[in-house]
Amino acid sequence: MKRRKSIWLILTLIILLVVSGCSKPSDNTPSSTSEPSAEIKTINIGYTGPLSGGAALFGKEVTEGLDMAVDEINEKGLMVNGQKYKINLVKLDDQYMPDKAATNARRLKSEFNAPVVFVPHSGGAFALQQFNETDGFLIMAYTSEPKIAKAGNKLTVQMTSPYNLYQEIYSKLVMDKFGKKLALIPTTSQYGKDWTSAMVPAWEKLGGTIVANTPVDYNKEADFNTYVSKALAAKPDVLFVGGPSQPTALVIKQARQLGFKGGFVVMDQAKVEQMAAIIPMTDLEGAIGVTPVFQYPSDGALPFVERFKAKYNGKIPAWEASKNYDHMMLLARGIEKAGNVTDAVKIFEGMKAVTPITDASVTTPIPGIAAGGGSMTPGVGIMIENGKYGKPFIIPNPADTTGYNLEMMKKSEAKS
Amino acid sequence: MDLLIQQVVNGFTLGSIYCLVALGLTLIYGIMEVPNFAHGHLYMVGGYVTFFMMTLYGINYWVSGLIAGIVLAVLGILLERIVFNPMRNSPSTNKFIAAVGAMMFIEAVARVLWGSDFRSIPAIYDNVVMIGGVRLTEQRLIIIAGAVILMVALYLFLKHTLIGSTIEAMAQNRDGASLVGIDVNRVAMLTFAVASLLASAAASLSGPIFLVYPSMGALIIMKVFVIIVIGGMGSIPGAVLGSFILGMTESLGATYISSNYKDVIAFAILVLILSIKPSGLFAKGGH
Repeated sequence: MKRRKSIWLILTLIILLVVSGCSKPSDNTPSSTSEPSAEIKTINIGYTGPLSGGAALFGKEVTEGLDMAVDEINEKGLMVNGQKYKINLVKLDDQYMPDKAATNARRLKSEFNAPVVFVPHSGGAFALQQFNETDGFLIMAYTSEPKIAKAGNKLTVQMTSPYNLYQEIYSKLVMDKFGKKLALIPTTSQYGKDWTSAMVPAWEKLGGTIVANTPVDYNKEADFNTYVSKALAAKPDVLFVGGPSQPTALVIKQARQLGFKGGFVVMDQAKVEQMAAIIPMTDLEGAIGVTPVFQYPSDGALPFVERFKAKYNGKIPAWEASKNYDHMMLLARGIEKAGNVTDAVKIFEGMKAVTPITDASVTTPIPGIAAGGGSMTPGVGIMIENGKYGKPFIIPNPADTTGYNLEMMKKSEAKS
Repeated sequence: MDLLIQQVVNGFTLGSIYCLVALGLTLIYGIMEVPNFAHGHLYMVGGYVTFFMMTLYGINYWVSGLIAGIVLAVLGILLERIVFNPMRNSPSTNKFIAAVGAMMFIEAVARVLWGSDFRSIPAIYDNVVMIGGVRLTEQRLIIIAGAVILMVALYLFLKHTLIGSTIEAMAQNRDGASLVGIDVNRVAMLTFAVASLLASAAASLSGPIFLVYPSMGALIIMKVFVIIVIGGMGSIPGAVLGSFILGMTESLGATYISSNYKDVIAFAILVLILSIKPSGLFAKGGH
């Protein structure tokens, strides 16, 4: 009996060894190391987003960007009316659910007295917009949902340009190259549906036709062959795909294996560079989507990518990290300008006053904050051509009232 | 016509993967009389072990799959010893809760150890072959062939070896099996080992065309559970037939009815079969 027990013990140990050997060596959870001292005070900034559940990976990418900005800000310290401050980012998990986001935001405001709450999803941002003006906190929303800025909320900043910038120019470029027949294989999330309903009229307006529509849950299916086969049976020239990057890459790969030769319109949720990490560039030929951060035509993009890679074991940042990084930087400058660490209205005014930020301290220039808190940043798309990234093209954002978008377009045209 | 054949083949591929997982689940049900909800998570761990063997240690695909199978067999035995064996005389509700607990535990551990990222097992057999107008990658053929070989091997093991027939004996009659001198403990461990090995094989085979991530187990267990309900809990032919019914329904339903209603169609079939044969297609007598 004793021998038996020791066999079990050994077996358990072996399993533990194998399993722990499998874990990746990287552990880059940033921790706030600086001790609170008498002279440095702390400002709590809130975050509610997915830290567990199906969207945990997305949440991690967002918080990596925020953490990096906070670490850089705290290194120097924030000077507000001669008093030195540091930022403490309080992260609460909402598992991507609007109701939990609302509860978290209330807690962040009442318990941690956070004047600002970052939220990386449209559902959460909508929920917070219901009460943030009365509760007195500023929403920093990472979502490209156009309705966020249209809500007319007085304390909202939307960090990305709206997704409805993309459909028309994407459609035009791929249609010219591949043809007029489009088959849709979008993800079934609300975001996927919204994108699709903007995509269809844009495509038809240009004289194209929709030959198939096979939505599929990118988060719940393992094999996309069935859907792709069905869509390809309608002999499309172009496929509209998109959901999280990795399943999207699988859809594209399976389309190629099933003999599809045309182009792809990729919804902005999927990132071309993340797809290129798991499938060959030749499969992505003719795919049009948002530019990778490292291809973005700005002074700050490459330095950011290098700093990010140094901090997170060579990981390449996507927009989740960079946009949140940029806006944490904007917030820090706004707080300094406002000379106030608790009043959301004053901080918001301070943020408006420090724009435009066009130097290399941010990844993408922030020309200003539009009505309703909308982003004024242009969209930047890219197409994969001849197995390489093509030239990024600028899509002007109509919300921009500063003329920055046009200037940027001129600059990029002059370069080529 | 080509589309129909293509989708039948797709359904067959899906069915093959479901089948390997469902066989394990139904075997365990046969001797334990409780669905092992953690079974899908063993499939997930099998995928991760294969992935890491290949990417971290650069081991050959087939050897990685074999290592994963062995690791999972041991893990299955540990699961039986630690979770289910102490509960063998408890009411089935307790076992039920234990299975759900084991499931959540394994997923949480996977998230902590390996993160939530999607991984993809490097595909070696990625060439496309054309068979009568149907385009297939070699890996898909390997999945179908692998599943068939494993099914035949399982059949031979259960029917034509002494040790295998003890599993069947115990599934049929636990007390009778003990009376003729079959070691109940040993059979339980053996069953878990075989079942986990099959789950791991499913993950290793499908890994190169799917993705590996912590929640993949929770997704497949839902489908496989439906399969063994359709086929009759504890029935081996039922699990095989049920798997291919579900695989075909998913692929043909999505093609000819609507991809929006794919799951609805699958569950409608479940309701239909259960209303005609309430205990599943091949129900074991006496339950």
